[in-house]
Amino acid sequence: MYQLNQVDKKFPGVHALKSVDFTIGRGEIVGLVGENGAGKSTLMKVIYGAYQPDGGTITIDGKTVRFQNPRQAMDHGIGMVFQEQSLITNLTVAENIFLGFEQQFVRWGVIDWKAMTAAAKRQLAKVKLAIDPATVTSKLSFAQRQLVELAKVLTLEERIDGDLVILLDEPTSVLAREEVELLFSLVRELTSRASFIFVSHRMDEVLELSDRIYVMKDGAVVDVVAQAEAQVEAIQHKMVGRDVDKEYYREQKQRPYDASKVLASFDNVSVAGKYDGISFDLHAGEVLCLVGTEGSGREAILRTVFGLEKPTSGTIKVKGAPYARTTAQEAVARGVGYVPRERKVEGIVNGMTVYENMTLSQMKNYSSGGVLRIAEEKALAEDWIKRLSIKTPDVYKDCGGLSGGNQQKVVLAKWRSGGSDIILLDHPTRGLDIGAKEDVYDMVREMCDAGAGIILVADTLEEAIGLSHTILVLKDGVFQKRFDGSPGDKPSLYDLVHHMI
Amino acid sequence: MAITQTTTRAGISRDTLVKWAPLLVLLVLCAFFAVMEPRFLSTRNFARILIAATPTLMVAIGVTFIIIMGSIDLSMEGAVSVCAVAFAYCFLWLGGTLASWAWLAIPFAMLVGAVLGFVNGLIHVKLKIPSFMASLAMGFVGTGLAMVMTGGDRIRIEDELFRALLTERIFGFPLMVYVAGLFLLIAWFIQTRTTLGRNFYAVGGGEDLAVASGLNVARVRIMGFTLAGVFFAVGALLAVGRIGIAETATGNNFMFLSITAVVVGGTALWGGIGGVWNTLVGVLIVFVIGNGMVVIGLPGYVQDAVLGLLVILAVILSTDRKSISFVK
Amino acid sequence: MSEFIKDFIEKEKINRRNFLFASAYGLGGAAALGALGPTMARAALTDPTIAWSYRNRTNPYWNEIVSGGEAFVQSLGMSKDALTHLINEGSSEKSLADVKAILAKTGGNLALAIDTNDAPNARPVVEAVAEAGAYVSTLWNKTDDLHPWDFGDNYVSHMSWSDEGPAEQTARILLDAMGGKGGVVHLGGIASNNPAIERLNGLKNALKDYPDVALLAAEPADWDTQKANQVMSAFLTRYGDEITGVHCANDTIAYGVLEALRAEGIEGMPIVSYDGNPQAVQLVSERKILATVFTNPHWGGGITAALAYHAAIGSFKPSEEPNEHREFYGPTIMVQPEDALEFKANYLDSVPTYDWNDFWGPSNGPITYK
Repeated sequence: MYQLNQVDKKFPGVHALKSVDFTIGRGEIVGLVGENGAGKSTLMKVIYGAYQPDGGTITIDGKTVRFQNPRQAMDHGIGMVFQEQSLITNLTVAENIFLGFEQQFVRWGVIDWKAMTAAAKRQLAKVKLAIDPATVTSKLSFAQRQLVELAKVLTLEERIDGDLVILLDEPTSVLAREEVELLFSLVRELTSRASFIFVSHRMDEVLELSDRIYVMKDGAVVDVVAQAEAQVEAIQHKMVGRDVDKEYYREQKQRPYDASKVLASFDNVSVAGKYDGISFDLHAGEVLCLVGTEGSGREAILRTVFGLEKPTSGTIKVKGAPYARTTAQEAVARGVGYVPRERKVEGIVNGMTVYENMTLSQMKNYSSGGVLRIAEEKALAEDWIKRLSIKTPDVYKDCGGLSGGNQQKVVLAKWRSGGSDIILLDHPTRGLDIGAKEDVYDMVREMCDAGAGIILVADTLEEAIGLSHTILVLKDGVFQKRFDGSPGDKPSLYDLVHHMI
Repeated sequence: MAITQTTTRAGISRDTLVKWAPLLVLLVLCAFFAVMEPRFLSTRNFARILIAATPTLMVAIGVTFIIIMGSIDLSMEGAVSVCAVAFAYCFLWLGGTLASWAWLAIPFAMLVGAVLGFVNGLIHVKLKIPSFMASLAMGFVGTGLAMVMTGGDRIRIEDELFRALLTERIFGFPLMVYVAGLFLLIAWFIQTRTTLGRNFYAVGGGEDLAVASGLNVARVRIMGFTLAGVFFAVGALLAVGRIGIAETATGNNFMFLSITAVVVGGTALWGGIGGVWNTLVGVLIVFVIGNGMVVIGLPGYVQDAVLGLLVILAVILSTDRKSISFVK
Repeated sequence: MSEFIKDFIEKEKINRRNFLFASAYGLGGAAALGALGPTMARAALTDPTIAWSYRNRTNPYWNEIVSGGEAFVQSLGMSKDALTHLINEGSSEKSLADVKAILAKTGGNLALAIDTNDAPNARPVVEAVAEAGAYVSTLWNKTDDLHPWDFGDNYVSHMSWSDEGPAEQTARILLDAMGGKGGVVHLGGIASNNPAIERLNGLKNALKDYPDVALLAAEPADWDTQKANQVMSAFLTRYGDEITGVHCANDTIAYGVLEALRAEGIEGMPIVSYDGNPQAVQLVSERKILATVFTNPHWGGGITAALAYHAAIGSFKPSEEPNEHREFYGPTIMVQPEDALEFKANYLDSVPTYDWNDFWGPSNGPITYK
């Protein structure tokens, strides 16, 4: 019923969509996969009216339509659930749901809050979310917010007579596994009323949910497969144009760690409200993975190791001694390096060059009396650009202009070149394409071989299993179970999930 | 890949435009005034513009560092007044001529500036008061202090040696222009070659990240304000050198002029972008307008309007409005 | 703080008494005719409270005004603390409220000297005072339609200054020094300020008699030394040698002009200014400035209080005085090189002892309305 015919979109110098055909039937769930930059976002923007195509037509039930803006698309029943959460966090849930459509509740110039709240309740019921619509959005968890977003889009139901098409852009990226399940079951139920277009980096989820899958590469649809015939490897092959190595996580390169050398240890450590009674040892050459849902205490443990969080009880030893002062500076001085989840916010400084970013944490080593030895900095940067094959024209390139994968490499180079041997990785592959992910996995192995210990919070459970020597499962801040992850003896997904939830 | 390429390509041309626009504006202004009045384009007139501009340049450089950090320092008027008055009293007390121990008044004034800046930074960082508020308050304290010290009086500095800053010329430009040039180079050195300068950009580019890289952000901030204080003091010394008077009013107008100059020069108010050369161009734009308007015979209020328009233009140019959808 | 700064602060405190910061910007004193007014005359008062109502004392000009008021109180054999200070901080509402409060407190046994902060506020103040049977003299602000003679004895007098005449006089001195030919530039105050307008008009009036002198440019310098310095530099670029004289709206501007000339190595350029600041007077004595005008706020503040007081105790009956004794301009003293040092010794280095019973001697004629 909704159809794109030979749709073309050009930007100066780039052919972003190359005569794309796209169909979605009533009640269908269509998956959309492709590497970063394959044209997924452009296609979605065309669908929900943010871009106007340069060529081709869009038809709904055979009638040609043309949207000047997303609002017009909405009037035709097309709604978008945004990846970056589009809720305004200081407004209430009800206000967010009806943002821009308050007119229906206005009586004599005043908003009838009761009516709005009741209407919001009905919307929330559709997504099975039992929260008070008067709650301020910032108080919700990310998963709840995602559902509120969906509820907001579902208001189209009441406004529009015809069919609905709802776009889900990376809806699962901030959700834990059980929340993903919840969302999926919800989406399946809602197919009685709407069709869905589902975009995700996580191939397994796309396969699980979608009836058909569109595979995009370089602005063109290269394949359409039905769920029954879909195979992860075949799709990945189509997406990247090459085989995805069976040894994706570099298991063959995993060497046993040095059990005699403890780099950091937690002894019954607690941080009030975050986690409780956690103990572990991190050894040289070990990848220790913390597994748990969002809010299980994984990130808080990383922050504690990095001196950003002060333990309320228990003992932390880094290189055999506790911190004198709980600060990041102290941690950095002890050789701890932190690769945060949000690269743009906490990983690299936009506007600073590659070499400036690399020496940011270790300027003392490259200065005398406060004056920088820039030649040495550049030499270091050039060395690491080669070692990690960072794709940058030169050391002067603004780091903000690099691709995500290369930014991640710069961050890793920053810590490794500074001699950090306790590396904290928080979702290091989030938002990277497959090639860049593999580079990161390679680096993880190399760091271990060089004697570094890594504490990892992985992006997916597969990644956690594939990469780690040791897995600690956490739930609500409490330790559940320890798994050994030697090659050939790795725990299964089910084992982990069983203890997570 | 396709999409990222477009944005970068469009971005490069925009970046280039933003980078060179201030200089372009300056050249266009100079050309315009030269066409309207050929006498504008003479060494003597450029010397006049530079004499007027040097104190503001020093103050603007000081505040540039702060703005690069993403903070703001509005204490310049009070700081300049206090430094000028402290210098004048110290100078007269120690003998009133550079040929005596009175030269010590120069480092003394810079020390006063540093202390004011240090206190300013300390209040901002330790009491967690927004820099805008902390520095504005410090500025009032400074103005008040200068008023108490002078009782509203003016102190004349008549020493021929000190006034040589204005009266002695090399290649047609008075000494103060060279002194300002020297401090500009020092500022450039600090900006590009020292850990402190690098840290300013790191803090301005992403404070969370600076913390996550183990930088002592509080220390960087306090040092930044201290450094700004020293440059305010240099500005005060040149202001006294220019008119031979130290008074509470010495600091007047520096806030508007220096912030305008920094913004017009292309340093972004949210930090991380820009530098002292931008500020030099910005200061020159402001003073070329001030001089050129009078030289071609336009009334003063047109000047203010033109400056205001330039500020808006500068902010429009330096803001990637695609990335910022709402402005508060 | 070091000893020398303390010393200076001490010195300045004493100095401030002598220091005349006669820059009464923005205090317009224009006027016109016609009005009505209730009169509730009452017999002379005995031992009335003497009060001065003004902006605040941190402003050097008002400090000088009030020190005159204190000098007058002391001349009566009282301590200077006997003068009641009503400080309005620039608020007309507070000014009026203060007056009403003190009228209630003294039961109308009051001699009030006041600047009402703005012109419209003068009427309610005067009416409140007359109602209570107290006596008031005003300085600077009143509307043109408000006149002392419409209130019998209770509204004793009003004093203001016009800058146009004195500015014209200095202009003539300047134009003569230029030999009656060449080009003159004017650096003014804030463009919309009344004194700034009057002082420029003074120059324009004088120029009518000097057809060979061209007014090259008149540019506001905002009463600011640094701005004046910049504007003068730009004038030098535009006009170069055509400039043979500079007319400054006040002393502060003249300092900036002098330094702009010094930077170019130009000496002996005829300059005149206004206000009679100590440094300007010094420069006049050195012939670097040809003339400045002194307005004597100390006397103005003292005599305003004296008029209200003596009318209150019945030393004279205001309603029997001619109009020019009830609305008059304050004194202006032309300071020129010949008499600059003498003037400095008499007025600035020491405060002259005034005869506070000579109400109108130094005054400058009746206020005229345009």
